[in-house]
Amino acid sequence: MGILLQNFDLVIFLVLAVLGYTAGSWAEKKHYRSINQREKELIKLVVVTAEGSFPPERIADAALVSGSVVVSIDYFKRLLAILRNIFGGRIKSYESLVDRARREAILRMKESAKKRGASIIINMRLETATIGRSANKKKSVGSVEAIAYGTAIVMNK
Amino acid sequence: MKFTPIQLEGNVNVSKSHPLIELLWLLGGLVLLTGLVFFILGVTADWAVSKTPIKIENWIGQLALNEFPAEDNPALEQRLQALLDSLPEDSALHQYDFQIFLSDTEDVNAIALPGGNIVVFSGLLELMESENELSMVLAHELGHFAHRDHLRRLGRGLGVAVAATLLFGEESAASNLISKTLLTFQEKYSQDQESAADQFGLALLTRSYGHAGGATDFFSRLEEDAGSKLPYILASHPHPQDRIDALNEQIKKKHYSIAKIQPLSLEL
Repeated sequence: MGILLQNFDLVIFLVLAVLGYTAGSWAEKKHYRSINQREKELIKLVVVTAEGSFPPERIADAALVSGSVVVSIDYFKRLLAILRNIFGGRIKSYESLVDRARREAILRMKESAKKRGASIIINMRLETATIGRSANKKKSVGSVEAIAYGTAIVMNK
Repeated sequence: MKFTPIQLEGNVNVSKSHPLIELLWLLGGLVLLTGLVFFILGVTADWAVSKTPIKIENWIGQLALNEFPAEDNPALEQRLQALLDSLPEDSALHQYDFQIFLSDTEDVNAIALPGGNIVVFSGLLELMESENELSMVLAHELGHFAHRDHLRRLGRGLGVAVAATLLFGEESAASNLISKTLLTFQEKYSQDQESAADQFGLALLTRSYGHAGGATDFFSRLEEDAGSKLPYILASHPHPQDRIDALNEQIKKKHYSIAKIQPLSLEL
């Protein structure tokens, strides 16, 4: 017991890292399952980055649709990133984070377009931002925001 | 042209490697890197220490001494003098102007400060039961001076702090992590220093009294409430049992005799 109390900061560090790893990878797996499934469901709704032009009589409605999401890093990912800061190279632990955020944002945008009855989203744009001023500072956990927006087009039948 | 949507298999945006394997590689690299830095710092610090004149050491010592409120103690001085008198003629320790102080603190410890200053804490004195034990502790501290450990430690500590700050900035998580890893190396080094000082102390004790009686007594008393060896992996001193074993081995190897020890006289 004494040794645990003597190295209390080390214990906290280990607990956080293990918790971050187990909870983080569980949440990530779950999220990816949901992303894959919803992407399959919404695959018929086309998203393009091109501006697109349609004859006016074919268009019933056009509206801005957007989807945004904020995903937090966990302690384990941060630990890997700190170690990467020393040696350099790809911060692989953050890759999946940004990937999840972008795909989730596109999915949310598509879901809102589907509610409007749109059949295509044109001019789609993606943006990423860090949340919180302390996102890159010591002893604080940062998070990533991704926002996707575009023009949803509802066609005349 | 007909548009056929397909869901793509796989994901090019996320690396395939397992995060735990990456962690292992990075941690291994960190340990290797800090080990190397510590080694280079050690060599440089040792070189600098060997070139540092005792005059400069005395000056640093005066600064350090101000941190410890302590008083002169004639009884301790007398015992230290007896040990100093039994040093060989050519010992480098004769260049020091030793001073010994008693500090009214409950810690069971004694420290060697640069410049020949020894501070003994009253908590340590209360545990002493014989003259020989006390001499062993003082001789152990003299061992630190003989090996100039206090300066080495200072040099390494400074080097570590400066290197981590220069490389990664003052308040960065990376420099924090590196300092922590380096500290582990430092403790290991410190344990080696303590063992070396024990050996020096034993030799001096035997020279002074003509036998090695009482050398391990104090450590066996420490050992009784030291408990498990596990916490000592990260401690600055070795486990008392290990110190006793090392001393006994040396006593056996050098064929030191063990005679009756003298009880502590009461003037302390």
